[in-house]
Amino acid sequence: METEMETEMKLQNDGATLRVSAVAELSAANANSFRDETRHAFGQEQRNIEVDLSQTTAVDSCGLGALVALHKTTSSRGGVLRLLNPTPPVQQILELTRMHRIFEVINQ
Amino acid sequence: MPDTFGASRPATLRFALPCELSQVHQAAQTAHRFLMEQGCNEEILTACDLAFVEACNNAIKYAPENARTQTVSVEILCHNGDLELRVADHTRGFDWPEKVELPPPESESGRGIFLIQSLMDSARYLRGTGENILIMRKSRPSPGVKTKPRAAMDNDWLITGLLEELSFSYESLSAILRYSAGQNKAGDLIKFARGVLGDLSGVVGAEWFVFRTVQNQSRLDVLAASESALDMGSIVFRGENSDAEFLEAQVAASQQPLWFDETRELADADPLRLKPRSHGIVYPVFVGENLTGTLTLGKNLKRGASTPAGELAFTSSQTNIIGTFAQFLAIQIVNARIQEEQVTSRIIARELEIAGSIQRSLMLKELPQLPGFEIAALCQSAQQVGGDFYDVLKLTDDTALLVIADVMGKGVLAAMFAAILRAVLRATPELNREPAALLARVNQILFDELSGVDMFITAQLAFVDVKARRLVVGNAGHCPLLVADDSGVKSLSPEGMPLGILPDAVFTSETVDLPPNCRVLLYTDGLTEAMGAGGERFGQERLADWFNENRGRARSAGELQEELAGRLAQFQVKTRLNDDQTFLIMTG
Repeated sequence: METEMETEMKLQNDGATLRVSAVAELSAANANSFRDETRHAFGQEQRNIEVDLSQTTAVDSCGLGALVALHKTTSSRGGVLRLLNPTPPVQQILELTRMHRIFEVINQ
Repeated sequence: MPDTFGASRPATLRFALPCELSQVHQAAQTAHRFLMEQGCNEEILTACDLAFVEACNNAIKYAPENARTQTVSVEILCHNGDLELRVADHTRGFDWPEKVELPPPESESGRGIFLIQSLMDSARYLRGTGENILIMRKSRPSPGVKTKPRAAMDNDWLITGLLEELSFSYESLSAILRYSAGQNKAGDLIKFARGVLGDLSGVVGAEWFVFRTVQNQSRLDVLAASESALDMGSIVFRGENSDAEFLEAQVAASQQPLWFDETRELADADPLRLKPRSHGIVYPVFVGENLTGTLTLGKNLKRGASTPAGELAFTSSQTNIIGTFAQFLAIQIVNARIQEEQVTSRIIARELEIAGSIQRSLMLKELPQLPGFEIAALCQSAQQVGGDFYDVLKLTDDTALLVIADVMGKGVLAAMFAAILRAVLRATPELNREPAALLARVNQILFDELSGVDMFITAQLAFVDVKARRLVVGNAGHCPLLVADDSGVKSLSPEGMPLGILPDAVFTSETVDLPPNCRVLLYTDGLTEAMGAGGERFGQERLADWFNENRGRARSAGELQEELAGRLAQFQVKTRLNDDQTFLIMTG
């Protein structure tokens, strides 16, 4: 199943994991819709969410808020939120806010 | 003196974005491009981008519904090694926490302020009325072009302090901004200018100021000065007899700022000679491309001190502040003037419209006529409607009271008194046959009202009995009445003061016979005062001569009225009617 959202991000089901990619930015303008669309696509049987941040040029505090919300969603099912390949500015904000310790950040 | 003025100005980017989150991205890109052009490195750019986005987000997210139509204004200043980002919001504001802490990990919000604080060297949130401003600063490594001497750095810190002080007075600044919407009187404007310039002097450390505005595109008049001695007459900066050598005139002519110090030689009558031991700047003030005025700010030198070589009275940052204030003030002045002119002209137009309709309502559409006689009248209003009027009160088949009056003054009040006089005359029928007694009564009735507003009325009443062919004339300070018959012109001017001068004024009357082919002329002084092209008056003599020309010829009142109107028009062909011209002619 693949859907193109208003935010142009891609959602892909991979067994227990929902993969989110092609997120251009995660900001106040789209954080809520990003969170809601992702939750909507998050199937009952799924536990993990993987967000590919390799194409994400900017994340702001609202974007972080959305990631925290998704982190809570996965935690409630005993799963994890994984962030893949954040770009340097995004990595910086994750570190700055110590969020890299909360989320699972994977650099491949 | 070195002209470091232009070179040391900070590069500035100002823009406004709509109060919508979707606009932040584009705004951030604009800011990013600007900072990149200023040579900011990647690290600085990343930090500024994010802090800027967070600031804009807050400004937009927390804006109340009714403030969403207002834009978020952004200002980015880049000066040598320092960056300053300002984002103004219209939210209710909040208290910037003394210690910014990272919210707990599970919190979905509250990281914006932390990010700003962490990414920038300093952040300060200033709350104002209706508008708040977030000022974020970051120093960047100098591009290495030139290292500033230590003293200059210290100076810059001083300026930073001053700027902060200025920022702290944000409340009063926003009060000024609000004030600009409300004030529209010249007196307010001067007070306002003094207040703004007093504040400015405090901020940049000036001890005196003179603000001059351009008048007639050639003159500089003082609008506000720090002391009355500096409030010296006009300076002509253009045209003949200009004071071209005066400093302020030079600035107005060149449209360039000019620094001065105690070593500068001033022309003999230059007003700045009043401040011989001082240094400062004369700053040209513009609105758009138009020179609006000059602002001179100075500091006094201590006894024995002199301006160090190459040093200017104000630093570049201070000069920027001066420029900003001057510009702001100039815009207020221009706006206030436009507003004032509009208000005044609207009031005048409306008043004249009212006065005009009152005056028109006083004029009879059709004059009553008497057997064997003919009556004609004309009232020509000048642009400023006055209080001229005529009236004919038919008393019996054979008798009537002719009235002509001129209420001194113009506009609504004059027109109203004319209406009152007309009503009073018509309400006193028992005295209509006795003009002198009638004038005395009318004077008693109107005295309080007239003297209360320092107005008076000149009037002439003529009771005519066509059967007896007799005319009884009473006069209240009005110009004479002319009676012409085959033997010549007679001028009647019985004693009497204008109405409204003395409470118990006494009036006399004169009686004349009206032989066949007689003509009577009642008029207001607008006729005799009418001005010709060469400045000469129409005059009573010219009027009497014209009236006499028609001796021995049977002419109707209508013909004479047209002829007199024609003569007057011809006489005034090149000049404008500057007073009402009213006359009443009776023939019989």
